[in-house]
Parts: sequence; structure tokens; C-alpha cells
Amino acid sequence: MSKLTIAIVDYGMGNHASVTHSLRSLGYRVIISKKKEDLNIADLLILPGVGAFPAAIKLLKQFDLFNYLQLQASKKRPIIGICLGMHLLANASYEHTYTEGLGIIPGEVIKFNDNKFHIGWNTLKASTKDKVFKDFNDKQFYFNHSYRYYGPDQYVRGLAESTEIFPAIIKYEKVIGVQFHPEKSQISGINLLDSMIKGVVNA
Amino acid sequence: MLKKRLIGVVTIKNGWAVQSFGYKDYMPLGKPECLVENLSRWGVDEIIIQVIDRSKKRLGPDFKLLSKIAELGLDTPLIYGGGISSIEDAVEVIQSGADRLVLDSIIHDKPKIIYKLADHLGSQALIASMPMSYSKEDLLWLNYRDKKTTKISQDVYSLIKTGIISEVLLIDWKNEGKFNSFNNELKDLLKKNIDTPLIVFGGISHKDQLFELYRDPSISAVAIGNFLNYGEHKIQEYKNTLTDMPLRAAIYRDTI
Repeated sequence: MSKLTIAIVDYGMGNHASVTHSLRSLGYRVIISKKKEDLNIADLLILPGVGAFPAAIKLLKQFDLFNYLQLQASKKRPIIGICLGMHLLANASYEHTYTEGLGIIPGEVIKFNDNKFHIGWNTLKASTKDKVFKDFNDKQFYFNHSYRYYGPDQYVRGLAESTEIFPAIIKYEKVIGVQFHPEKSQISGINLLDSMIKGVVNA
Repeated sequence: MLKKRLIGVVTIKNGWAVQSFGYKDYMPLGKPECLVENLSRWGVDEIIIQVIDRSKKRLGPDFKLLSKIAELGLDTPLIYGGGISSIEDAVEVIQSGADRLVLDSIIHDKPKIIYKLADHLGSQALIASMPMSYSKEDLLWLNYRDKKTTKISQDVYSLIKTGIISEVLLIDWKNEGKFNSFNNELKDLLKKNIDTPLIVFGGISHKDQLFELYRDPSISAVAIGNFLNYGEHKIQEYKNTLTDMPLRAAIYRDTI
């Protein structure tokens, strides 16, 4: 089987270096681009993200990627959103101000009840029914956020708990969103990234 | 449950990783990227790299260093501090491989820009570095560039209280590099004014100290610098003595 090509969507926000190295260490070919002709040839798109939701949406629209990503999801192309990238998949976010998201996975992004941050390593309660995630139940991953996904249970594949229980993994068709940073979660993170990529590309 | 963190700190001056003592004496350790790689291999929870001459010399962030570290392909969260004076700097640092930023000079010089940084990067990415001492029951905040201390202004307290930064890196700069000497009064005084989670740093070396600090609900992480260089696998060693604490267990990587 030839190497899979993964495109990191370069919309101006995010730590591309870490994601790139993680993917290359797993043997994938990596493209970092905002050009549709580059993104079109990839087997899977990754939406990375360190940043605030409204600024990210503004940039996606500025680079004409907002509608493009919605279209790719409707064509059932595999997409993985990481942290802010996961939030962008939802219908909307209340971060700073109400902002509409890509609407690829139904749900909204809200603040934690106690207005606290959730930063550090936490245990993932992963769905043991989904073969992509089952081996990662009770493993620890690195989180760095203060907003969380809130949506129908049917899309939730993993949970974490701080002062409240919240979704850490969401999935709809070939689109996955992870709240934590697999690329910064050492061995468990790299293995999960590989499992997710193979899981959605081969689905 | 969210774990408390053990953070490794690498201090860099003139391009070299150094041991720092009381913010005034420095001893070279070697190439920063080698230290960072070791910390990651030892399974530290986060790494702070603080480049202490970038703001002072107005050199901007050390992108060359970030590039070298990015080339290592580390899978440990990285926090960068040094020379960040604009939104553009901050965004580029994140794009160069940092996950979070530790801000110091910019809080002294342009506190209002922190709000804009939060708009761009999210507050979770922002940490305020606050080297502190105290005198007559008052906390004194060090501007490390001119070595002058001042009381923390209400504006700065207000900025922190708005929640636009996620954590405060509280540094006992006078005791930095001294064994077992972190002054708990500093955190106790600061806690009276803010409820932002604290990362404590400076003079923390002994397991009993760590026990006590981790027991404090206001402390989210303990950062250690010099003392990690006095032996191999210090991260695992510390963690193995702290198994009763809410820390991620020590991990051992296959290095072959």
C-alpha cells in the first residue's frame, strides 16, 4: 500500500510543526497548504488549532476554506480536527462572541460551567465499541482549552472529566474531532493519531 | 481526573542552556535542544523554554531555536518565553512549534496587548511570568531587565482576574537555583489577590517540598530547572517519589 498523504489545512492558526513531525514519524506523506489543489489530492485533511474560535473562522473565510471544508465533509472525505480544529467542526461557538462554525458535526462550543481552564494531562474514557478508539480507553492525553463541545451523545466517542464530564472525542461519518492534542500526548497520542487516520481513511 | 503537572524548565542565554542562580549568575549546560530532547524522553509533562536575553536585547523571539526544537519532532507540550513583543511574534511562535506562551516583559510594557493576544490565540495559550519577592507583607514584582521591583499594580491584578491568561508562573527569583528554598509566603500572598492557577518555580528541589506544593489546590504545576540536570532520569525519579500525588505516572521510553 502506498503512503497515505495527509494535508494539514494551513489557515494561519496552529502548531503545524508538531503535527507534521508526528505524522511523518508515522510514515505519512504530509502537505501543509491552504490551496485547494493541494488539499484535494490528500487522503485526509487535518484541521489543527491553537487559538480562538472567532479568529479561526475569520481566517477560514478569508482563505475561502470555510465552504470548501463543508463541501469536503459532505463528500465524505476524511477530516480530523484537533482542539480548536474540533471546535470548528461544530455549528457554533460562544468563545468571546457567538460565531457560527462549519456545522459538520452538530453541536455547539461552550465555556465550562465554572469558567475554568482545563490544562494538562487527563484520562480518556474512550468508546470501547469503536475499534478506532477502544485501545485508548483509560490512556492519558494532553488537553489545553477553556471551551468544550456540547452536543448530541450519538456523536460522542470519548469523554474526559474535570469539574464536569465533557466530550473529548466526537465523530460523524468520516470526520473526527479530538479535544486534546494527540501530537503532544507522547506515545498514546501518536498511536491514537495513527489509529484515527487508518480508521477513517479505510472506513 | 485532571493531573497536576511536573514541568521542566530550560533557561537559555546567549544561545546556550544555562543554570541560573538568583537571576544573576549563570553556568553553561550545553545545547538547549539536547536538554529539551532529554526532558521529553524522560516523560516530563510540559517543557518551558525561557530565553532570557531576547527582550533585554530587543532581539524578538528566538525562531532559530524554535526551528531546531521543531526539527526534533518532540511529542511533549512546549511553552516558550522570550522576546515576544507583538501579536505577530506570538502567532509566529505558536506556528513554530510552541503550544503556549509565557509572557513577562510584554506585561510590563504593553499590558493591554494581552487582551488582543487572547483574541487571537485563546487565553489557554497565555501564561503570565511573575518573578516575585516580598517585603513588609507586600509582594514585589521584578522587572528582570532592569532588576527593579515594584508592587503589582491594580491594573495588572485586574488583567489577571479577567481570566485572559490561564496560569501565572510564580517565580521565587531570589531563591532560584538554591536547593529546597522556595518561599511559600509568595504563593500564599499571591493567592489572596488572584485565583488564577499557579505554576511555581524557583528553588524547588526536594520531594517534601513538592508534596507540600502539590497539596495546595491553587497550584496546577511545579516547574523545576537546574535540579533536573543533576542526574539522569530525574523526572521519573521525582514522579516515583510522588505516587500519592495527582500526577501522571512516570513513563519510560524505549530509546533504542
